[in-house]
Parts: sequence; structure tokens; C-alpha cells
Amino acid sequence: MTRELLQVKGLSKRFKDREVVKGISFSIAEGSCAALIGPNGAGKTTTIRMLAGLLQPSGGSVVLLAEGRPVADPRPYIGYLPQMPVFYPWMTGAEFLLYSGELAGLTRREATRETGKWLDAVGLRDAGKRRIGGYSGGMKQRLGLAQALIHRPRLLILDEPVSALDPAGRKDVLTLLQRIRLETTVLFSTHVLHDAEEICDEILMMREGEIVLQGSLDHLRRTYSEPVIRLEVGGDEVSRAWLAAAGGKDFVVQSEISGGRAKLRVADVERAALELMADAVSRRVTIRTLEAGQSTLEDLFLKAVRS
Amino acid sequence: MMQFKLFFRKEMLEMGRSYKWLWVPLVFLMLGVMQPVMTRFMPEILKSAGNMPKGMTITIAPPSGAEVLAQTLGQYSSIGILILVLSVMTMISGERQSGVSQMIFAKPVSYVSYAAAKWASMLSLVTASFALGYGGAWYYTVQIIGAVEAGAVVKAGLFYLLWLWFAGALTLLVSSLLDPAPGIAFVSLGAALLLSMASGWLPRYTVYSPGSLPQISAQWLEPAGEAKGAVGAALLCLACIFIFFAAAVYRIKLRYSKG
Ligand SMILES: Nc1ncnc2c1ncn2[C@@H]1O[C@H](COP(=O)(O)OP(=O)(O)OP(=O)(O)O)[C@@H](O)[C@H]1O
Ligand SMILES: [Mg+2]
Repeated sequence: MTRELLQVKGLSKRFKDREVVKGISFSIAEGSCAALIGPNGAGKTTTIRMLAGLLQPSGGSVVLLAEGRPVADPRPYIGYLPQMPVFYPWMTGAEFLLYSGELAGLTRREATRETGKWLDAVGLRDAGKRRIGGYSGGMKQRLGLAQALIHRPRLLILDEPVSALDPAGRKDVLTLLQRIRLETTVLFSTHVLHDAEEICDEILMMREGEIVLQGSLDHLRRTYSEPVIRLEVGGDEVSRAWLAAAGGKDFVVQSEISGGRAKLRVADVERAALELMADAVSRRVTIRTLEAGQSTLEDLFLKAVRS
Repeated sequence: MMQFKLFFRKEMLEMGRSYKWLWVPLVFLMLGVMQPVMTRFMPEILKSAGNMPKGMTITIAPPSGAEVLAQTLGQYSSIGILILVLSVMTMISGERQSGVSQMIFAKPVSYVSYAAAKWASMLSLVTASFALGYGGAWYYTVQIIGAVEAGAVVKAGLFYLLWLWFAGALTLLVSSLLDPAPGIAFVSLGAALLLSMASGWLPRYTVYSPGSLPQISAQWLEPAGEAKGAVGAALLCLACIFIFFAAAVYRIKLRYSKG
């Protein structure tokens, strides 16, 4: 039985007359990694800023539990990295980490030790001596991660930590997160499902201020995956016509057909695959690929976001 | 207290690295020294400029040391205040706008310490710069113009320093309220200017106004050396500085909760 670290109940936020977060509830277990996924404007940043104590909710509650008891001020237990971290350009990376550590309550000696450790961990050992004004976006992101972790928070909250990075930088940060999540509970937002699948075990899908789907990755995969057949046929008239008609067969629950490709949700994959192939052979249709499988989370995500 | 020290050290370091600790005191020193030197050499300058009909002589009554010091303070009322406002106006708004403060306030820090460090570092910069400039002015005045009574000089200087503190505190308050730097400069300078002008126009209603502090300090330098309402104005000014501070703390806190 895992203990809960964060409990969010009916959290809402309105700006003037627009309700941006509409009474969402969820909890995060100690030691887990949760991803807050949603398209642009879903309300991820607004939610995260309320969790980090930087924005007063219009309604609802956020409770952080330390040793099972609610704490009055959650800030000592939280490490936060904003969507676009900004630093003092005139400070060096090492100075900023030292400053963050001391502000978070470390003694000077502890802060010095942790600064060295985290500069190494995020790969800024040499750059740490230079002014932040000359850092690249990826370096700033990594420095931001280090400042969020320097006081050993219980909960690490990251707002789109990899969105602004190139593939290499993205890989670096994700690898780092994989290591961090072994010791710290992590909540991070993203609009890329792939990032979430790579390191997280919990998913919170948000759309227009509401959580439309939540649960563990395994659970979601099991519950929502549906048998799907992906088909690709040749470019000739006969094949195209056949494919267009395939959506109408009785075993097809739902179909998405475009050009020479089709994605068919079916009741029984095996039967459907056999019938489709037999039919195709008898009509001399050229099948390029036929893949029988399950719908992916990506499909689920797109469905949840669009519907 | 611990956090105040951290914030204060950071502010001092920032002012150092942006060379504020160099140029603000230098400008104040220049303003201070210029007045006695110009006064002393003005007749020579006019003479060498020539262009005067033969036989005509101008006699400018040489001003006393106290008068020269009063004129120096007049310099600070215009250019001095301008420099002061420009050098501190983005201390709060800048961090809010860039977003650094997001990261700072996500840490368990106190808003009061944060604002107090801003106030303390602003007061240090103003005090050091003015002390240097006014000290320079006093030294040169004594050297090349004539002696001034030390008590009057110190009193005038202290009251004028209060006025500069007031202007700095006002600027920081505006910096916590507004975002655009030109707006902050405009509002702070405008308010300071209005206050000091109001004291000239409506002396009866502004006896204790902080805007009358420049006049009070000039009065200390007059031969009679008696200033009306000095204590009241000083107390009210200190109260204002404190109120501005409290309002800024409240404002900074609010900004981070209302979004
Ligand atoms: N301070 C504010 N005042 C008014 N509206 C706001 C404010 N902050 C956010 N919003 C609105 O709230 C909505 C959600 O914004 P939010 O930044 O939380 O989205 P997001 O999910 O983080 O998007 P993105 O992926 O682009 O970062 C947006 O429509 C935005 O316009
Ligand atoms: Mg966002």
C-alpha cells in the first residue's frame, strides 16, 4: 500500500470570467511519477502553479502530506521548475545553485556541497563557473532542474521540462529524470505522450480545464486499448475502391480511411484479419501491409483530446 | 533574518556587477563638486569669454559657502533624483517581468525579507552616494569658497538624505505596482516633482509634507538657520517610507496569488 503525497480536491481557477481549471481532483502516491498531459491551453501551467503555491486557487484544496500528515506550507517539500526558467544572467550557474540552496534552508556548507553534486549530475560542471547570460536553452533547463532538486524535495514539479529542447537535450533530460524518479516523486506536464510513456507510471489527461482521463499507464492500456487493424493497400483503382468499401463490413466497429491507409476498429481481430485477406485475394487487391493489434495510448490521447 | 541576509547580499552583488555601485556614487560626486568649483571660477570664465565692452566690469557678489551648498542640494533635486529613480526603478518589476521571481517564490522564502532586502540595498546605495557627493561638495566649498558652520551642513544634509530616501522608497513601491520601466520612471519622478512643487505653491498646507524636506534643508543653511516643521516633516517622511514598504510587501504577495 503506497502512501499519498499530494491530494487535490475540486481545484479550480478562474481568471476574470473565464474558468481555466474546472474543479479537478486527483492524488499522487509517494514514489510515483505522474504526467499531466494536455494540448496547449488545457490549463496545465495554471494547475501546476497552484500546486507549487504560486497561484491562489479560486476553489478546492491542495494538500501535501509529509509522513502522512498535512503540512501548512508545502514549499519546503516542493521543487519547482517553471515552463521557461529564467535566471539572473549576471550570476554564474554555481552561484545561482548556491543561492537557491541557501534560500531553501540549507546551510552554506550543505549548499556548497549540493551545488557541486548537482552541477555534476546535470552536466554543468565546467559551465557552472560561467555567467548564466551565456547559457543555451538546454543548459538553462538543466540548471533549472538542479535548482529544483537542490534541497531534496519530496515532490518535484516540472512544467514541460523537455518541450523547448532539441532531440539530444530532450534525451539528456529524460535520462536524468529517470534517475531522479527513483528517489523523488515526480509530477510533470507535457503535450507529448511519448515523453510520459517513457518515464511515468501515472497519467492525468487534461483538456479545457478538466481531467478527461486518469489512471496508471498499465491500467489505461488495458482498459482502453481496442483491437485495431491497420491496412495499407497499393495505389491502383481497384485496391483503393476496395479499401474505401472495407469500412462498411459488418465486423468493423469504426473506421478511419485516408488515401491508401485505413485504421479499422474491429470486434474480433483474428476473424477480421482472415476475412479481409480472403476478400482481398479473391478481388486481386494488393495489400502492402496488414497489421493486427491494439490501439496505442497515442490513439487514446488523440481521442480524449479531440472528442 | 537568515533569508534577509541572503537577499541583501544578492542585491549588493547585483548592484556591483551592473556597476551601479560605481556610476551612481560618481555622478553624485560630480554633481556635488561641480557647484563650488563652477561658482569659484565663473568670474574667470566670463572674463576669458571676452566680448565685453571695454570698461565694463561685472561684479558678482561672491556667494557664501552656505549658499553654494544650498545650490548643490538644488542640483540633487533635479539630476540627483533622476539618477536615483533610474537606478532603482526595475529592482522589483524586473524580476517579476523576467520571471526569475517565480523560481524564488516557489522556495520557502518570506516576502517581507525579500522586500526588506530591496529597501535596505536601495537605502545603502542612496546614502553612500549622497554622503560621498555632499561630502565632496562640503570639502571643496570649504577649500575654495569659505567656511560653513558644520552643524548646519550636517543638519541640512540629513534632511536632504531623508528626501532622497523618500524618493527611493516611492520608486520601489511603484516598481512593485507597475511593469513597464518608463511608466515607473514617469510616475515616480512625477510624484516626487509634484510633491516638492506643491510645497512651494501651498506652503501652508504642506508644512509636514515630505516634499518640503528640500526646502527645510535649504533653510538650515540660511543665516538665521531655523526651519519650520522640520521634525514633523521628518517623522511623516519616515512613516511614509514604512507605509510604502508595507504596501509593496502586500502587493508582491498579492501578485503571486492572483496570477
Ligand atoms: N494570468 C492569466 N490571466 C488570464 N488568463 C490566463 C492566465 N493564465 C492563463 N490563462 C488562460 O488559461 C488557459 C490555460 O493556460 P495554461 O497556461 O494553464 O495552459 P497550458 O496547458 O499550460 O498550455 P501550454 O501547453 O501552452 O503551456 C489559457 O487559455 C490562458 O489563456
Ligand atoms: Mg503551460
